[in-house]
Amino acid sequence: MIHPSLLASALLVAASLSAQAAEWKMEATASRLEFATTFEKTVAPGVFREFDTRLHFDADKPAEGRLDVTIVVKSADMNSADVNKAIAGADWFDFARFPQAEFHATDISRTGAGRYLARGILRVKGVQQPVEVPFSWAETGDAARLEGEFIVKRGAFGIGTGEWAATSVIGADVKVKFNVRMRKSD
Amino acid sequence: MLRNTDLSWGTPAKLLHWAVAALVFLQIALGWAAVTWRLSPMKLDLFVLHKSVGMLLLVLMVVRVAWRAVNIAPPLPADMRPLERRAAHASHLLLYLLLLVMPVTGWIVTSAANIPYRIFWLIPLPAIVEVDKTMADAAARTHFGLFAALSLLLALHIGAALRHHFVKHNNVLVRMLPGT
Repeated sequence: MIHPSLLASALLVAASLSAQAAEWKMEATASRLEFATTFEKTVAPGVFREFDTRLHFDADKPAEGRLDVTIVVKSADMNSADVNKAIAGADWFDFARFPQAEFHATDISRTGAGRYLARGILRVKGVQQPVEVPFSWAETGDAARLEGEFIVKRGAFGIGTGEWAATSVIGADVKVKFNVRMRKSD
Repeated sequence: MLRNTDLSWGTPAKLLHWAVAALVFLQIALGWAAVTWRLSPMKLDLFVLHKSVGMLLLVLMVVRVAWRAVNIAPPLPADMRPLERRAAHASHLLLYLLLLVMPVTGWIVTSAANIPYRIFWLIPLPAIVEVDKTMADAAARTHFGLFAALSLLLALHIGAALRHHFVKHNNVLVRMLPGT
């Protein structure tokens, strides 16, 4: 005799397989990952030119989703040769020792119509911190737009150490903004 | 005495002259310190201060030129030779020109290098040129070249003022001093 609870879990597995979440891949040319800090009380914007986003997601069942972002840190461009040279150094991103930043979230929930929240771990400069990333999701056929922004404290990741840890010249908050075009891969 | 006369400079002209003089020396010290300081928050603060004083100088110089244009200037001493007169006029014209152009070349450097700032950490200064590394380098070289020219002219200007006072014994220096 089959135990009822075993049957229930078998049915649950079957149900989740039938409504399997899709695999989404990023279209790099139609995607942007920006960040903005403040420099002497003035907004200083930058962009990571190379990054990738993978998403396992069903808009109706976000809880089963998984979001993975990898960032090539040395692709950071603040549109100034002097600044780009400075942020490569050990006090800032330390390109040589920490070439990659990552964000992984397996906890995704719906917060409104087309709006979601991904709770995950952001790893920058070897430091892991829990981060909540709100995003909007607009799906049309095989394509979708993933968009949102959140704020992190640079100090938590050791971005700007020593005398740069003071936030009077370079502000504490970094706004991260993403606008990513995804395509269903299967 | 507000307006300039045949005998002396008026109070606004004197105030503008000495304010600009003091700020120019401060500005040279700030610029030198900012360029040579190691990369640190202090260096960035020195640059913001240098750029702020530069914009203040630009405003003061515009006011000064306008005030000069609507006023008479006390004439040069009658015993000056034509060559000296021409040298005096040319050097003053060049001083005005340099003090107007130098802040603008600095403004071009900060715009082309994309280092925006707020004047005295308060008033955001818009960019006047597109971001362009080549342009930033060229403007920075020009800015430094003009600094060298300004230094020479200042030495000439101060030397000439002292010569008028101590060698020629005329009132050229005294009529720019307060209380005359």
